[in-house]
Amino acid sequence: MELINSHILSFLIFMPLMAAGVVLALPSLQAARMVAMLASVVAFLGGLHVWYWFDGTSAALQFVESYEWIPSMGIKYIVGVDGLSLLLVVLTTFLMPLVLLSQWHLEESGQKNFIALLLALESGMIGALAAMDMVFFYVFWEAMLIPMYFIIGVWGGKRRIYAATKFVLYTVIGSLLMLAAAVILYFAHFRQTGVYSTSLLDLYQVKLPLATQMWMFAAFAVAFAIKVPMWPFHTWLPDAHVEAPTVGSVILAGVLLKMGTYGLLRYALPLFPEAMAASAPVLIFCGVVGIIYGALTAWVQKDAKKMVAYSSVSHLGFVVIGSFAIMAGGELSVEALTGATYQMINHGISTGALFFLVGVIYERRHTRMLADFGGLAENMPLFAIMLIVATLSSVGLPGTGGFVGEFLILNGTFQAMPLAAVFASLGVLLGAVYMLTLCRKILFGPLDKPENKEMEDLNARELGYLVPLAVLAIAMGVFPNAFMGKTKPSIEHLAKNYKNYSLDYRMGSEMTSKSAN
Amino acid sequence: MMLWIMLLAPLVGAALNGLVLRKAPKTVSHLVAVGAMAVSFAAALAMYLEMMKQGGEPTTYLAFDWLDAGGFHAPFKYIVDRLSGLMMLVVTGIGTLIHIYAGGYMHEEKSTARFFSYLNLFVFMMLQLVMGDNLMVMFVGWEGVGLCSYLLIGYWFHDDKNAAAGMKAFLVNRIGDIGFLLGIFLTYKHFGTVSFSELRELIGENTLDAIHLGAIGWITLCLFIGATGKSAQLPLYVWLPDAMAGPTPVSALIHAATMVTAGIYMMTRLNFMFYLAPTTMHVVAVVGGLTALMAATIAIVQSDIKKVLAYSTVSQLGYMVMACGVGAFEAGVFHLFTHACFKALMFLGAGSVIVAMHHEQDMFKMGGLRKYMPITHIVFLIGVLAIIGMPPFAGFFSKDEILWKSFIGGGPLLWGVGAITAGCTSFYMVRLLCLTFYGEHRGGGHSSHGHDDAHGHSDHKVHGDGHSHGHTPHETGVNMWGPLVILALMSAGVGLLGVPHVLGGHNIFEEYLKPVILIPEAAEEHWAFLEASYSHSLEIGLMAASVVIMLIASGTAVVLYGRGPKPVLDTWKKSMSGVYNTLSNKYFVDEFYFAKIVQPVHDMAEFLWAFVDVKIIDGAVNGVGEFCRFIAGTLSFKMTGSIHRHAMVLVLGLVCLLSALVIH
Repeated sequence: MELINSHILSFLIFMPLMAAGVVLALPSLQAARMVAMLASVVAFLGGLHVWYWFDGTSAALQFVESYEWIPSMGIKYIVGVDGLSLLLVVLTTFLMPLVLLSQWHLEESGQKNFIALLLALESGMIGALAAMDMVFFYVFWEAMLIPMYFIIGVWGGKRRIYAATKFVLYTVIGSLLMLAAAVILYFAHFRQTGVYSTSLLDLYQVKLPLATQMWMFAAFAVAFAIKVPMWPFHTWLPDAHVEAPTVGSVILAGVLLKMGTYGLLRYALPLFPEAMAASAPVLIFCGVVGIIYGALTAWVQKDAKKMVAYSSVSHLGFVVIGSFAIMAGGELSVEALTGATYQMINHGISTGALFFLVGVIYERRHTRMLADFGGLAENMPLFAIMLIVATLSSVGLPGTGGFVGEFLILNGTFQAMPLAAVFASLGVLLGAVYMLTLCRKILFGPLDKPENKEMEDLNARELGYLVPLAVLAIAMGVFPNAFMGKTKPSIEHLAKNYKNYSLDYRMGSEMTSKSAN
Repeated sequence: MMLWIMLLAPLVGAALNGLVLRKAPKTVSHLVAVGAMAVSFAAALAMYLEMMKQGGEPTTYLAFDWLDAGGFHAPFKYIVDRLSGLMMLVVTGIGTLIHIYAGGYMHEEKSTARFFSYLNLFVFMMLQLVMGDNLMVMFVGWEGVGLCSYLLIGYWFHDDKNAAAGMKAFLVNRIGDIGFLLGIFLTYKHFGTVSFSELRELIGENTLDAIHLGAIGWITLCLFIGATGKSAQLPLYVWLPDAMAGPTPVSALIHAATMVTAGIYMMTRLNFMFYLAPTTMHVVAVVGGLTALMAATIAIVQSDIKKVLAYSTVSQLGYMVMACGVGAFEAGVFHLFTHACFKALMFLGAGSVIVAMHHEQDMFKMGGLRKYMPITHIVFLIGVLAIIGMPPFAGFFSKDEILWKSFIGGGPLLWGVGAITAGCTSFYMVRLLCLTFYGEHRGGGHSSHGHDDAHGHSDHKVHGDGHSHGHTPHETGVNMWGPLVILALMSAGVGLLGVPHVLGGHNIFEEYLKPVILIPEAAEEHWAFLEASYSHSLEIGLMAASVVIMLIASGTAVVLYGRGPKPVLDTWKKSMSGVYNTLSNKYFVDEFYFAKIVQPVHDMAEFLWAFVDVKIIDGAVNGVGEFCRFIAGTLSFKMTGSIHRHAMVLVLGLVCLLSALVIH
């Protein structure tokens, strides 16, 4: 057990990449598929293992592995998880087998490359979530782009090149800003301590004057805001989603966007706390605008996928306001921050499911225009159930995970900035407006188009990847403590101490003895 | 234990029908659903008797911790007391009857598993709403019943109109729900808890400072906004008439007897807060009164039998809300209880008529059904007598209690509003009765469902019903009239629980609910009139006045509609076309909302997307790209066409800029 625990994160990071290599080397698609599925299931079990052994009473970074890499420059390989990243890591490993299952029936020649890219992407995502060293984080952050670029650019729709380029350019511009700020931070740390280090745990200790902080915070915040995407940096998202193949959208919405909100919490907030506090009103404003704006623009879309894409802008707006709700005493609202981290997971589940579902009907009809559908509840009752469950979670109906997240965010924000919460709660109504419009146009009304009458209901394979999502959407709403219980110490620690943030850490090899709870 | 059985039986029924027995024969799904309800009702009854044996003291039960974050704590905790005890009996009891009836009503359907699954799920959610011991569990039920309502209104989803009606109900309710949510946030902010028991202790037994009193004003106002959605009050009542698109048992259960009374229940549950908020209470009383009056006037000219009942429900809910507004929560709940009996009865009766008429809902095409449906006629008659307040039927006592309390609490004007409403109620109800059951049968020809689209022919079948049109209507089976008879007995009898002292009764019901009501010390003076004594002659006089109004209005209706609609009505319709059109078009409220709210917001959304998003923001993004291309060109880079190079130029520049700024 000690051996597993002390290397589990590195295993999760690099095993999928190696599996990708194997997939490429294998001659037959069937074998490649099996290997990929095996790898992703093993990764999921690994994710569950981390979750199980994670000490939920501690805010420390856990399962830490640390090795010197370039000692003269202070660059180390450090990985670890705490309550902020724990659920995101599990979500990532959870989605991957489902994504592979949804590809199982495709026989085109390029599938092997596609599968390999998905596995490489998984490595990048887990790496970015677990990295606690600026350099490694940056490497993984950029590494995620490459597979996604090809997934959209090669397997996408008609305007795939435009969309893929836009996606990459947008992100790269942001991340180069971040890189510049990180370099400055690195030298500032050296000036203050006389030691070179790129470890985030060391960089947290750097104290900077507010004016400097503001610039660097802006650089980091823009980088992450683009990724979220926060209004008004969001226009790459609808294009990317519409052009991306279904699984591309699922991963994009499910995990990649969360890298933005996660980055804000892991980097921008604790590294530049005063600057964050000063600019919180701006961020909250953008978040609230995003909620309303995203919902309204989603409402008038005629393409189902674009509608879901814009809904992400709205939903991620909730996460943003929940992350920056500063209470009267200067602390962050624990309720809002809990909701924000929880909403990241919910959004991954419900929007992931929605993209899958849109993919299902697209595959059958080769159109996503709402006007082409109607009455599908008649001949696709299982599809209807799944779509309605995903919708309910998306609109935050009590009993689904979406409610828990939205409620905590709004409640916490209300305690801090009532007016922002009042406007944001319009999103509760507007979210229902566009989602119910979507359901009505697809599921209800007369089944009058002959092509639609021939559409078959979900098959076993499709149920195989949709049912887990639906069950999870409800379980996360009814038993939220089971999911977020272990994340609470980290969240409270961040909310209360972000101005003097530091993280204890516990090596992977120490994990077994202390966490038998 | 009994509580868990009561709560979970409907959920199990819903899951069985919804997931396992989806393709089961109709009798199986019906049996499962009714069985679940019967078990639930039996458990409720057992628990109720047990509670009353203990003197009716509240007991709470914890299921499990639900939502905890920071200082916020909301467990799945339930309370059984006199108020929730009554509600659980109404929900499971009347619910069981309606489930039995629904089997007959839905017998033409191919499959009813989905229907009964939703219906059971509704009962589960409704029980969450009434049994929850904190605002959060109540909100789970609050939105949960909204979901079931949405699903059931749009049950016959092939007609887009039904789907639209369901969606409208959900969305309008969501507006109210935002108010409810804000109420929860405020409560947590100022009192640190959302538990009913804790709030009651905190607010009822302490002297609050001005800040907290002010907060209570806002909290109650926000929560009341929630109530206007769910209980169909001005300005959010517009969804309820459309909700009649659902199958009629749904209208009876959800849109008459249970769900729509949630607002009244919620205010009564939190009466100790509302008593401390006199301004809110004024608003509540006025909104209730106006809703009652407005809906009653609309009901006078409707020709769709379900629409009349729908507006009647809105109007009666207005009565209940008005009662709450003048502090007479017991009277409001009493009327809730009697109304649940007689309105469920009338909806189900209307359902029987609709089935007998092959899904014709236009009363002007009915008439003379007394001959064909004698049992339905009798029970319907009892329902009408109950609602118009004919002594000694149930509605007489509950309605009169409200009128009396609104007189002493709100003054003659409020009483007048209530009394005129009562007159309208008597008129349209007797009109409905006459048009449906008396006179000559005007059906037969039965051209098509082509009556004008102002009132949808929403209850029609999707697949052809096996009957040929045109043959005479006939009485329903015992599975349908049986529940009606029970409801009729209740409509006739339950009023006796609330015989006022002035008529020599003891008002058992009011005494029963007394322990639930708590007027905090600070508010005692303001509400002293509730306990003050008044001259008996005044009370009797008002009572007599309302009876006289009822008799006159009913008499007028009998004269005009007793033997079929009098021709003179058409002349009046023409000479007063302005009034008539306004009423039959429901004061054009829907049109107003659409033109002034929905359409402008949609236009704005269109603008935001087509112009702001595509042209401005994305235009700027693409413009930056073009700009880089231009700069790159002038910097005499070779135009390779590689967008990556342009990006690099842009980024390098930004990096330099940023570095320069920070390092100086």
